[in-house]
Amino acid sequence: MKTICALLIKQCKDSLHNLPSLMILIIYPVVAFIMITAMQDEENMGDIFIPMFAAMHCSFAPLVISSNILSEEKEKGTLRSLVMAGVSRIQYLLSLFWFVLIAVMLTASAFLLMKPVTASYAGNFACAMLLGSAVSAVIGMCIGLHSKNVTAANGIAVPVGLVFALLPMLGQFNSSLSKAAEFTYSGQLRTVFEGGCFTAQTWLVSVAYLAALSFLLVILFRRKGLE
Amino acid sequence: MTDSSVIRLREVTRSFGEKQVLKGVSFEVSKGEIFGLLGPSGAGKTTIINILTGQLSCGGSAEIFGVSCGKIGREVYRRTGAVLDNCGLYDRLSCADNLRLHARIHHVSFSRIQEALTQVGLEGCEGKKVKALSKGMRQRLALARAILHSPELLFLDEPTSGLDPATAAEIHALMNSLRKSGATIFLTTHNMDEAYRMCDRIALLSEGDIAECGEPAELCRKYCSNSELSIVTTDEHKLSLENAPENAEAIAGLIREGKLKSIHSSEPDLGTVFLRLTGKELDK
Ligand SMILES: Nc1ncnc2c1ncn2[C@@H]1O[C@H](COP(=O)(O)OP(=O)(O)OP(=O)(O)O)[C@@H](O)[C@H]1O
Ligand SMILES: [Mg+2]
Repeated sequence: MKTICALLIKQCKDSLHNLPSLMILIIYPVVAFIMITAMQDEENMGDIFIPMFAAMHCSFAPLVISSNILSEEKEKGTLRSLVMAGVSRIQYLLSLFWFVLIAVMLTASAFLLMKPVTASYAGNFACAMLLGSAVSAVIGMCIGLHSKNVTAANGIAVPVGLVFALLPMLGQFNSSLSKAAEFTYSGQLRTVFEGGCFTAQTWLVSVAYLAALSFLLVILFRRKGLE
Repeated sequence: MTDSSVIRLREVTRSFGEKQVLKGVSFEVSKGEIFGLLGPSGAGKTTIINILTGQLSCGGSAEIFGVSCGKIGREVYRRTGAVLDNCGLYDRLSCADNLRLHARIHHVSFSRIQEALTQVGLEGCEGKKVKALSKGMRQRLALARAILHSPELLFLDEPTSGLDPATAAEIHALMNSLRKSGATIFLTTHNMDEAYRMCDRIALLSEGDIAECGEPAELCRKYCSNSELSIVTTDEHKLSLENAPENAEAIAGLIREGKLKSIHSSEPDLGTVFLRLTGKELDK
């Protein structure tokens, strides 16, 4: 536990000095805020923009950030120096997972300040955000494990992240895309952000994603370790 | 394995694809010695360190502290430190933050950080970002990190390559003081002079095999017994003559004719030993 704390502290300091990853963490809340403020005259802009950007935030940010951190540590040899200091690979992945969840949840809380919300909405929102971030972080860690360096990792993580981030929004304009969005965790969670509650389908799709991807992560980890 | 041996390799093999880099390497390193592994670039020195630190699998048997290298766990890592060719420092963090991370991992008090920085001559650099450091300073910071938890065994992969002589001398002094405090040091280098002065024992690695292993001075005596004289004549001819009575007349002749420009004895060195053993230059 002490080791995981040490890694978390390191990661916080490192990310605070890493402008690109900070940008990714705050870009969606900031854009949502700007849109809502700019269109103040029209009613209920918060109801449109917050679900849209919250769904993007929980699918894109954790995915890109976790793959970025993991591949950078591999590329720079810092991960190796940690392993040689006696940090186990599991401890490392856990600390990365916790860090991403905490960072995304903290920045996501800004969404809740942009419009008046009820306690039950806030609860559902936090739950959906946590679930979505967990799935995205696991995808990002799979990509990070698979890639040799940051460039290669970003080459996969950004398009994958964009698909999950944009599909739910594009689904509004096209019925076949909207059908496809129903099968993504981000599409399902978007309905929660819109004020709906967790349905059986939401749980089913999200948990299926989480289970399948965790399985993939274990396989990749077994095959490649953290080399 | 004798009680005092910290590292033991027996017939260790390792290939990368088709290429067999190590073809049965065996040696032991005893507690408290500075052991040097010498070899030309690409000989497999870093590969051996990677095997010993559990980062690469291998054939044969490799052990440190009596634990097979494939199964190294936390306990062994706590007793070892390493400076690798790529330092593995966090660029965006300050020197002190890099060390604080490892102090937390090793449960070492933060007061050690200042001590370690002073030991490597980086006092006053605590707040500096790693990306603002020169190569030599990074190397020293990596060394500070490696000795932070006072390890019993230290791996140094070319610790002085690319450093100026003064800094290299500081690192040598540090290595000596670590040895005095009982640490074992495993050093790789292609600097023969460094190996000769610093190491208690050396192994020469060539073509995936240990060509020779022993005390540096002893190896020099063994392979360079008849010292040679290098002569340069006034018309810039270079001669190499054995230091023996039958050559006395020839040398005297040069002196009489006023043709001798310079004469030196060529001291045996590890480079010559390596050349004799393998037909290859060490620092190529
Ligand atoms: N991961 C790898 N994949 C493929 N080949 C490798 C790998 N690591 C090392 N090699 C090969 O193994 C050989 C030995 O490499 P190694 O890095 O151990 O040499 P070295 O003695 O440390 O050289 P140097 O003095 O330049 O550091 C080289 O020919 C290198 O090409
Ligand atoms: Mg090397």
